[in-house]
Amino acid sequence: MAVSYSPILVAILFAVGFGLVFLALAMFMGPKHETAEKLAPFECGSEPIGSPRVRFSVKFYQVAILFLVFDIETAFLYPWAVLYRKLSCTGAMYGLVCSGNVTFFGLTEMVVFLAILVVGLAYVWRKKAIGWG
Amino acid sequence: MTRATSFLALLLVFLGSGTAAADEPAVDVAPASLSFDGPGTRTLELRNPGGAPLVIDRVTLAPDASGFQLTDTGPRTLQSGERVQVAVQFTPDARRQQAFGGLQVHAAGQVRGVPLRAGSSWLLTLLIFFPLVGAALILFVPTGRHALTRAIALATSLVPLAASVLMCLRFDRAFSQATGNGGLQFIQHVVWIPSFNVEYFVGVDGLSVTMVLLTALISTIAVLASFGIDKQVRGYFALLLLLETGMLGTFCALDFFLFYIFWELMLLPMYFLIGIWGGTRKEYAAIKFFLYTLVGSVLILLAVIALYYSSSPTTLVDGTPARHTFDMVKLAYANDWEGKGLSLLGFDFTKVVWVAFFIGFAIKIPMFPFHTWLPDAHVEAPTAISVILAGVLLKMGTYGILRVNFAMLPLATQWAATTMAVFGAINILYGAFCAFGQRDLKKLVAYSSVSHMGYCLVGMAAFTRSGFNGAMLQMFNHGTITAMLFLLVGVLYDRAHTREIDRFGGMATQMPRYAALFGFAFMASLGLPGLSGFIGEVLVFLGAFPVYRVITLVAMSGVIVTAAYHLWALQRVQLGRWNESWRDRTIFNDLTARETLTLAPLAAVVLVLGFWPLPMLQLVDNGLMDLLRHVTGLHGAGTLAGLP
Amino acid sequence: MLDNAHSLRAFLPELIVAGTVLAVLFVDLLARRPHVGRAAALTAVGLVAAGAATVMTMRADGYGLFFGLIARDPLADFFKLLFLATNLLVVLISLRAREATDESAAEFFALTLTTTAGMMLMASATDLLTAFLSLETVSIMSYVLAGFRRRSRESAEAALKYVIYGGVASGVMLYGMSLLYGLAGSTSFTAVRLACAHTPAAATVLLAVVLCLAGFGYKIASVPFHMWCPDVYQGAPTPVTAFLSVGPKAAGFALLVRFFGGSLPAELVGAPAPWPILLGLIAAATMTVGNLAALAQTNLKRLLAYSSIAHAGYVLLALCAGGSDGTRAILLYLVTYLFMNLGAFLVIIAVADAGIGEEIAEWRGLGRRAPWAAVAMAIFLFSLTGLPPLAGFFGKFYVFAALLARGGSLMVTLAVIGILNSAVSLYFYARVLKAMYFEAPTVDEPLPLARLHAATLALLAVPTVALFLVWSPLQRFVDSSLGQWYPAEMRPRSAQLDRSVKRSSVQLANTSATK
Repeated sequence: MAVSYSPILVAILFAVGFGLVFLALAMFMGPKHETAEKLAPFECGSEPIGSPRVRFSVKFYQVAILFLVFDIETAFLYPWAVLYRKLSCTGAMYGLVCSGNVTFFGLTEMVVFLAILVVGLAYVWRKKAIGWG
Repeated sequence: MTRATSFLALLLVFLGSGTAAADEPAVDVAPASLSFDGPGTRTLELRNPGGAPLVIDRVTLAPDASGFQLTDTGPRTLQSGERVQVAVQFTPDARRQQAFGGLQVHAAGQVRGVPLRAGSSWLLTLLIFFPLVGAALILFVPTGRHALTRAIALATSLVPLAASVLMCLRFDRAFSQATGNGGLQFIQHVVWIPSFNVEYFVGVDGLSVTMVLLTALISTIAVLASFGIDKQVRGYFALLLLLETGMLGTFCALDFFLFYIFWELMLLPMYFLIGIWGGTRKEYAAIKFFLYTLVGSVLILLAVIALYYSSSPTTLVDGTPARHTFDMVKLAYANDWEGKGLSLLGFDFTKVVWVAFFIGFAIKIPMFPFHTWLPDAHVEAPTAISVILAGVLLKMGTYGILRVNFAMLPLATQWAATTMAVFGAINILYGAFCAFGQRDLKKLVAYSSVSHMGYCLVGMAAFTRSGFNGAMLQMFNHGTITAMLFLLVGVLYDRAHTREIDRFGGMATQMPRYAALFGFAFMASLGLPGLSGFIGEVLVFLGAFPVYRVITLVAMSGVIVTAAYHLWALQRVQLGRWNESWRDRTIFNDLTARETLTLAPLAAVVLVLGFWPLPMLQLVDNGLMDLLRHVTGLHGAGTLAGLP
Repeated sequence: MLDNAHSLRAFLPELIVAGTVLAVLFVDLLARRPHVGRAAALTAVGLVAAGAATVMTMRADGYGLFFGLIARDPLADFFKLLFLATNLLVVLISLRAREATDESAAEFFALTLTTTAGMMLMASATDLLTAFLSLETVSIMSYVLAGFRRRSRESAEAALKYVIYGGVASGVMLYGMSLLYGLAGSTSFTAVRLACAHTPAAATVLLAVVLCLAGFGYKIASVPFHMWCPDVYQGAPTPVTAFLSVGPKAAGFALLVRFFGGSLPAELVGAPAPWPILLGLIAAATMTVGNLAALAQTNLKRLLAYSSIAHAGYVLLALCAGGSDGTRAILLYLVTYLFMNLGAFLVIIAVADAGIGEEIAEWRGLGRRAPWAAVAMAIFLFSLTGLPPLAGFFGKFYVFAALLARGGSLMVTLAVIGILNSAVSLYFYARVLKAMYFEAPTVDEPLPLARLHAATLALLAVPTVALFLVWSPLQRFVDSSLGQWYPAEMRPRSAQLDRSVKRSSVQLANTSATK
C-alpha cells in the first residue's frame, strides 16, 4: 500500500531539493550589492508597511475571477482529453481500438461547455471588464 | 387521471375557467345524482367506460340512507360500454319529507358514491347568501348615490327576514330526532371538498330556528339604523351585509368546517366596521375585539381538528366511505367520545376538547373573565354595530355551547355543569355591579349584556326543561331588548354627542315619546313581568333552582342589583330637573320617523312575547328536549338510525 | 437510475432554463441598447417552455438521473413547477420596478433564472454533493441579487451581511455533511440513511444533523439562523426580496423534505430518533421569534421579513409532523404562500411606483387613495394570518391537521403554540390594515395604479380567494406528488396507517363494513 505512494515522496523530495539547491547557488555565487531598497521585504510591488485599509483596485479581482474561469476550463479539458477515445466509442475499447461505432458525443459535450464559456467571455468583453483602461 | 392532466386541471382553475374534475372512475354513472320531489322511483344507469369487462360486486345503500329502497343488489359483469339500470324508490313519512343519502356502487375495488336527495331545500342557502349578493351589488353603485346604496341594503336585508319568517311559519313544531333527519328541517346537504370530507350542510332545528329569525330581524333593524352613516357608505353597507351572511351561516351550518368558516367570516367585517366607523378609540377597540375572538376561534379550530381525527369512519352524504367526518350531527350522535377512551396531553380527551370549545365560545358570550373586550367594542362601535354585536354575536357563544359542547360531549358537559353555573352566577352579579358603576350610558348597557348572558349560562347548566327553554328564550329576548337599548342610547348620542349619564336629566320633558320607549326598554331589561325579559329569567330560575339551590339564590340576588341600576339610570337621564348645562334645548328633538321605525317592531316583539311566549317556546322545545335527553342520559353510539 | 447521456432527456427543464440564461445575456449583448421588455419576454418564454417540458416529461414514478445524483420524481416535478411559476411571477412583478430592472434588466433576469435552475436542482438532489452544490448556486446568486442596487448603501450592506452569514452557514453544513460521509463512506442519501440507521455512534449522527441544519435553516431563515433575514429583505430591491422570500425558502424545504424523509432513519440505535423534538423546538422558536419581532416593526419590508420567518416556522411544524400528511401540508402551504407573499410584496412595489414609501406610517389612508391596492393587500394579509375564506386558511389548516393526526403530547403542544402564534400574527398584519383603513390620509388625491401592476395583483389575488373555493384540484395534484419518490425508501408513510393498526377492533370492523 505504502509502496504505491512512493513516487509522490520522490517527487516531493525532488522539488524541495531543487529549490534548496538553487537558493544555495544564488546565495554563494550571485553578486551582492545591498541597498536599502533591496533589503526591504518584497511584496508583489506594493508598499510592505502601511495601513492595511488600502483600497485595491477592483480590476485585480476582475482579473483574478476571469483567470479562475479559464483555469477551470483547463482543468476540465485535461481529463476530457484523456478520456476522449472512450467517450467517442459506443462499444468496448481494446487498447486504442474501438469495437463499436464512433460518435461525436464527447466532442459535442466539450463544444457545449466551451460555447458557454465563450458566451461568458463575450459578455465580459462587451461589458468592458477586460483591459485596464 | 395522469399527473399531467391533473396539473392542467389545476392550471385551468388558476385561469378561472376550470372546475374540479373528478378522478377517473371505474364505472360511469348517469345521472350523477338522483333527486326526488316526492314519493317515486328513479333509475340510475351504470356503464362500463373501460375496454375490459367490469365486475360490479354489489350496489347498496349507504348505512344511513333511510327512506330509500333499492331494487338491485346482485353482482354482475358488464362488457365494455354495456349499461345496466338500477331503480331507487323513495317513500317519505308523513312528517319527514326530506331525505339525504348515498348509493354505493362497489366495483373494481372502489366504492363509487351516488348522492340521493329528496326534498332538498334551497330556503336556507338563499337566506344565507342573499345578503352577499346585495353586498356585491352595492359595490357597483356609482359613487355618491347614497340613497340607492341604502335602498339596496335594506331590500337585501328584508329578503332574509321574509325568508326566516316563512321558515318559522312552515317549521314543523312536532318534528324531533325521533321523526328522523336528526331533528333538522330545511336541510341542504351536498359534498363540498371530497378530499377532506367537507360537506355543505345547512339545516335548522329548535336550537337555531329562533336564532336565525333574530339575526334576520336585528340585521334589518341595523341596516335601518345605519341610514345616518354618511362616511364611505358603500363600504359600510357591503360589510354589514357580509356580516349578516356570516351570522346566518353560523346558525345554519351543520358541517363543522363550514361552521368555522362562517364563524371566522364574521370577524373581518366586524373588525372594519368598528375600526373605520367607530368612535375615538376605534383602533384599540377593533383590534382588541379581533384578537380576543381570534384566540377563541383558533382554540375552536384545534378542537375541531382533534374531534375530526378521532371520529369514527362513516360515509359522506353521497355514500362515499370516509375515514373521518365534519358532520356535526354525526359527531354528536354517531360517535361515543367517552367510550373511545382517548387522551390528550395526558388528560381525558373529551375534557380537554370540551374546555377548548368552551373557552372559544365563552369569549364570545362574553363570560367573566373573558369579557373585557365587550365594553370597549360597544363604546367605540357605531350604534347599529353595537346592536348587532349585542343582539346577535353574543348569542353565538351560548348557541355554540349548546350545539357543540352539549351535543357532542355530554359527559364532559355534566362534569363541567356546576362550574358553568357558577360562572353564570358570577356573570350575572359581576355584570350588574359593573353596570351600576358606569357613568357612560352605553357602557352601562354593555355590562348589562354581560349580566344578562349569565342567565343563559345558569339555565343551560341546569339540565332541566324549563332551564333550557328559559336560556333559549333569554337569548332571543336579550337580543331584542338590548338592541332597543343600544338604539335608544344611539338616539341620545346623535343629539348630544355625549353619553355621560350625569350630563342628562329631565329628558322626558323635552322628548316624551323617546322617554316612553326608553322606560319601556329599561323595564323590559330589568325583567318587569308582562314584558319578554321576565319570562326568560323566570324560566331559568325555575329550572335551575331545584338543581343548584345556592348558586341560583346568589344569582337571583343579581336581579335586585339589575333593577337598581336600571331604575337609577332611568331616573338620572329621564326624570328630575332639566340639566341646565345644555344651552340649546332644541337639539333634543323627539324621535324621528326612521328612529321610531327601528324601535317599534322590537317593542312590539318584546310586548307580545311578554304575554304570549308560547309560539316561541313551541319552536324550540322539541329540539331542546332532544338535546336534554342526549346530555343527561342517552349518550354514546347506537342512535345512528334516522340521521340524515 | 439512468446514465449521463440518457438522463439528458429527463433533465430537459433544467437545460432549458440554463439555455435561457445564456440566451437572455447574449441577446442583450447583441442589441444596441438594453431593453427591459425584450429580456423579460425571453425569460418568460424560457420559463414557460421549461414548465411545458416538465409537464410533458412528467411521470407518475420516480427514477434517478446521472447515476443517482439527482432524482426525477413527482416531488421534484412539483417543486420545479412551483419555482418556475415563482420566477415567472417575479418577472411580472419586477417589470416596472426601477430598482431591479432600470440599469441592467438582462443581468437581473439571468440571475433569477440561474437561481431557479439551482432551486430546481435543490428539489431534485438525492446526494450530499448535489445538495451542497445546488444550495450554493442558489446562495451565491441570492447574494448578487441582494446587492443588485449597486449604488445603494443598504443594498450593499444587505449583500455583504448575506454573504458572511451564508459563508459561515455553508461551512458549518459542509462539516456536518463530511461527518455523514465519514459514517457512510458515500454521499448518496440512501447510503447515508443506511449507515445512520446501523451505526452505534448516535451522537455523531445527531451532531452531523444539527450541523447540516445550520445550512438548511439558513436557507429557510429559521431561528437561530434568521439574523440576516430582516436586513437583507429590507435592503435588497423589493422584487428580489419577494423572490428570496418565496423561492429559496421553498427550495430549502424541498431539500429538508428529502433530507429528513430520505436521508435520516426514523430510528437511531433502536430508539426513535429525536428529529421531531429537534424540528419541533426549532419550529416553535422560529414562529415565536418571527411573530414577536414583527410586532415592533415600522417598515413594511422588515415586517414581512419577520412574518416570513414565522411562516418558515409553520412549515417546519408540518415537517415535524412528518409522514404523508405532513409532507402534503408542506406542499400545500408553499403553494398558498407563493401567492399571498408575492402579492404582499407586489403591493409594496405598486405603491412605491406611485411614490409611497415602505414605512407603515406612509400608508395612511391608502384605502381611500388606492382602494384596489388596499383591498388586495387586505386579502394577502388576512390570508397570511390564515383566516377563511382565503387560501392561507387551508395552508394552516393542513399543518395543524397533520400535527393532530400524528397525535401525541409533543404534536398537540406544538399545534397549540402554532395556533396561538397565528393569533399573535394578526396583530401586526392588522397594523398595516389600520394604517390603510382606519387612519385618515395626509393627502386626499387618488393614487393611480399602473395597469401592469393592477393586472398582476389580480393574477395573485384571484387565486388567493379562488383556491379556497375550488381547493380539490390543488389537493389532487399535491397528492399525486406524494407517492413514488426516488429512491423508493424515501416515500413518506401515512401516520394514519400507523395509527389505524392501534385502533380498537370494533372500529376496524366498522371500516371494513363501510368499505
